[in-house]
Amino acid sequence: MIGTLVLSGCVTTPRASGAGQGGTVIASGSSTVEPITSLVAEDFAAITDGFDYQVDGPGTGDGFALFCDGATDISDASRPIKEEEAAACEENGINYVELKIAVDGISVITSTANDAVDCLSFLDLYALLGPESQGLDNWSAADDLAGELAAELGDEYGAAHTPYPDAALEVTAPGEESGTYDSFIELVIEDIADTRGEDAVARADYTASADDNVIVEGISGSGTSLGWVGFAFYDENSDVLRSIEVDGGDGCVAPTAETIASNEYPIARDLFIYVNTDRAADNQALADFIDYYLSDEGIALVEEADYVSLTPEALEETRAVWEGR
Amino acid sequence: MAARSETLTARDAVARRLRAGGTDWRSWLLEGALLLSLLVALGILFVLVGDVLIKAFPLLAERPLDFLTSTVSARAERAGIIQAIIGSITITLIVAVLAIPIGVGAAIYLEEYARDTRLARFIRTNIRNLAGVPAIVYGLLGLAVFSTALGLGSVLLAGGLTLAVLVLPIVVITTSEALTAVPDAIREAAFGVGATRWETIRSHVLPYAAPGIFTGTILSLGRAFGETAPLLMVGAIAGTFSFVGAPWEQLGEGYTTLPTIVYHWAGYPQAEFRALGAAAIVVLLGVILLVNATAIVLRNRYDRKW
Repeated sequence: MIGTLVLSGCVTTPRASGAGQGGTVIASGSSTVEPITSLVAEDFAAITDGFDYQVDGPGTGDGFALFCDGATDISDASRPIKEEEAAACEENGINYVELKIAVDGISVITSTANDAVDCLSFLDLYALLGPESQGLDNWSAADDLAGELAAELGDEYGAAHTPYPDAALEVTAPGEESGTYDSFIELVIEDIADTRGEDAVARADYTASADDNVIVEGISGSGTSLGWVGFAFYDENSDVLRSIEVDGGDGCVAPTAETIASNEYPIARDLFIYVNTDRAADNQALADFIDYYLSDEGIALVEEADYVSLTPEALEETRAVWEGR
Repeated sequence: MAARSETLTARDAVARRLRAGGTDWRSWLLEGALLLSLLVALGILFVLVGDVLIKAFPLLAERPLDFLTSTVSARAERAGIIQAIIGSITITLIVAVLAIPIGVGAAIYLEEYARDTRLARFIRTNIRNLAGVPAIVYGLLGLAVFSTALGLGSVLLAGGLTLAVLVLPIVVITTSEALTAVPDAIREAAFGVGATRWETIRSHVLPYAAPGIFTGTILSLGRAFGETAPLLMVGAIAGTFSFVGAPWEQLGEGYTTLPTIVYHWAGYPQAEFRALGAAAIVVLLGVILLVNATAIVLRNRYDRKW
């Protein structure tokens, strides 16, 4: 009972109103976005008296479940809201805006000891990691599949970089529960799998982990490894990891902050925050917090958290969405 | 007296036999294998603890007090564990206040009062099974019962109640074992001089069972202190929050605990957070060591021989 009173008290009624005044903001959702929201909340709390915040990171899906239940003010997300999640929000009368705040590249990685492969196209990635690669335990074993794909699909998804080296193919990558897995499948595998009449999934026989640092360990520990992680994890570990350039049909591009921001690098996903607009109307602290989040000062923290900033045009668009809520 | 000197003689005989069998290769082999097991166990422990200490040392040397008194933060250089310390201690206190009296009481009833019926045996077996249920199941139970049905939400009290339920079977089992270890002769002697059942339990059975009960309950508190998975289900925050308050103020608020923080920091890309995680592990290990040492001291203090 204590809990209900205190908690619902926190969520629904601002402790004080007026710009720059105190109040409480509760955010949950993607653990990828959590560091950005945490940094913004900390800095906003430092300049605002009596501002209380709570930023949790159980995952994008769990975050939306809480958000559409009315338990949180902000939902961090590493993918757009799904139809069934949006339906749940609508059912509970939760109105929200979607604000794009940053870009995260997905790096295809191998160990620094592997210098046989420099660039892979979507076609190669499908041949090595897609549903039909099941059971291939040597890079060169995927040669035939890649040749077949190239003959069928041509250069639409980039050229096949065959022949692959004759070396053991050891795949370590995020597990199915991870948003990084979903993004990779959606951006790289799905279209080719649809054309081929296959399910849009990764091969099932790889070492999966929900912990990106475990994936980094696995990839760096084998000289012939292959996998993918969020750009921040590659960037922080570039002494033991080598990123493979990716060809999405327009030539090989290495993942850097610049190529990801400009959309030149083909495997990039947007990061979002969803804000409950009714709460923002009632709770001045929440509105002020989002204003600060989207200010030059706030949005600069995206880079401190090792993600890639939006282009100025995209940022203006996000600000317009917020202003027009 | 006669019986005693006979045992001594038998013991001497065994000792002589053992000294004489020094070249028995089977004994050497067994001794070697057992020693190897010990070294493997200790080796793994040393590697793990050593690794954590090495990673944690620079941070703990640089800002030991600051680390203990700062709030959780997404900036490694100012992140600390004060909220996790308060959260862990408060949760352990809730567990102690709830699980120990209920668990010890249930065990005393089962062992001293309940008749040895089919039902009593059924209950006993089930309590043992409950102790083997994975912790995450208790997390789901806590989420359904305390957070949702009772409407507590994602607050510390819900976490404390969940862990109290989690360790309850362990407290019952260890207390039951301590009670059954008290020889029946002690009870019979008390009854023989006209003591009531209550007097027998209070003045004879409980004092003899105390060391076992203390050890069991304190170790179960250590277990509660180290749990992560069920707490994540009932709202422990793997992130940051601003609230810092005394334990009683924390009851109805969002919370985190030491193992939750370790889990959270392990997921960050930056290496500095791994040092922070290691430092939090050192604090966690220190507290658990302290808890276990208390258990040993209490056991020795109340230890009796018969």
